[in-house]
Amino acid sequence: MTLSVALGPDTRESTQTGTVTSGDVLTAPDVPWNLVIWNDPVNLMSYVSYVFRSYFGYSEAKANKLMMEVHKKGRSIVAHGSKEQVEQHAVAMHGYGLWATVEKATGGNAGGSGKGKGKRG
Amino acid sequence: MAKAFKYGLKGIKGYLEPAERELLRSLFDDVISMLEPEQRANEDPLAALVGLDTEAREPSDRAMRRLLPNVMKNDDDASLEFRRYTERSLRESKIGALKAAALSLDRENLVLTPDDARHWATALNDVRLVLAERLDIRDDADADNVHLMQDWAQAEDVESYLALVYNFTTWLQESLVQAMVHSLDARR
Repeated sequence: MTLSVALGPDTRESTQTGTVTSGDVLTAPDVPWNLVIWNDPVNLMSYVSYVFRSYFGYSEAKANKLMMEVHKKGRSIVAHGSKEQVEQHAVAMHGYGLWATVEKATGGNAGGSGKGKGKRG
Repeated sequence: MAKAFKYGLKGIKGYLEPAERELLRSLFDDVISMLEPEQRANEDPLAALVGLDTEAREPSDRAMRRLLPNVMKNDDDASLEFRRYTERSLRESKIGALKAAALSLDRENLVLTPDDARHWATALNDVRLVLAERLDIRDDADADNVHLMQDWAQAEDVESYLALVYNFTTWLQESLVQAMVHSLDARR
């Protein structure tokens, strides 16, 4: 089985002067990432809200709002940050048993990328 | 009959019958054994020590995938890379909570400190995630159907027994979380 996901050898040649021209460099740490929590039929609403309050320190109102968004829309962005920060949150959420993923923030319309099929109210 | 967890001056207090303690102990043990990483003969002990698992892969079992999910929705390679760095310690922290919860079942009085309560909440949650996969709970309608099963006299096959166990752990976790919410409110 070939599961080679090694980071490619970074063979940048640095014989040139220091002027950076590559566009790749812009993928660096300031690009914001989102922590997404997904709905599932198992986790208790009270528990999800409790986790948001106790782990993120959110107010009861904010925690409940995010929890309801997960419940009704199927997902909610509950935190932003650098890739490392949201990854750390994701592991913590997995520790609690919540279904969390990370994704690169997509400019203005972060939450609205779903296909909008579900018409359930 | 078990009593709902209650928050009070001494912490969060519960009451379980001996048979209920036995049941929970075996559920916690089952999930612990699912999560226990297998020992590999040629494993680098140093890598294991720092929590690295170069051979980790996405679990094939649905319940395990729910306990140890991919960190990215549409990038299996990046998820796998991340899994190799984090999965082992995630397994260990889950096992730690399950073991702590199992251990407190040995005490005569079930009085939980804030740490105990957190361990119990995540342990019960992981048990429920596993039971839900075994019961094929995919959406809220499935969950509602399982919820209808409340009478132990009806338990005539494995599935109805699992449904009753699921409902019992759901009720127990809900009462625990309510008590934990009260303790959060009381602290502010």
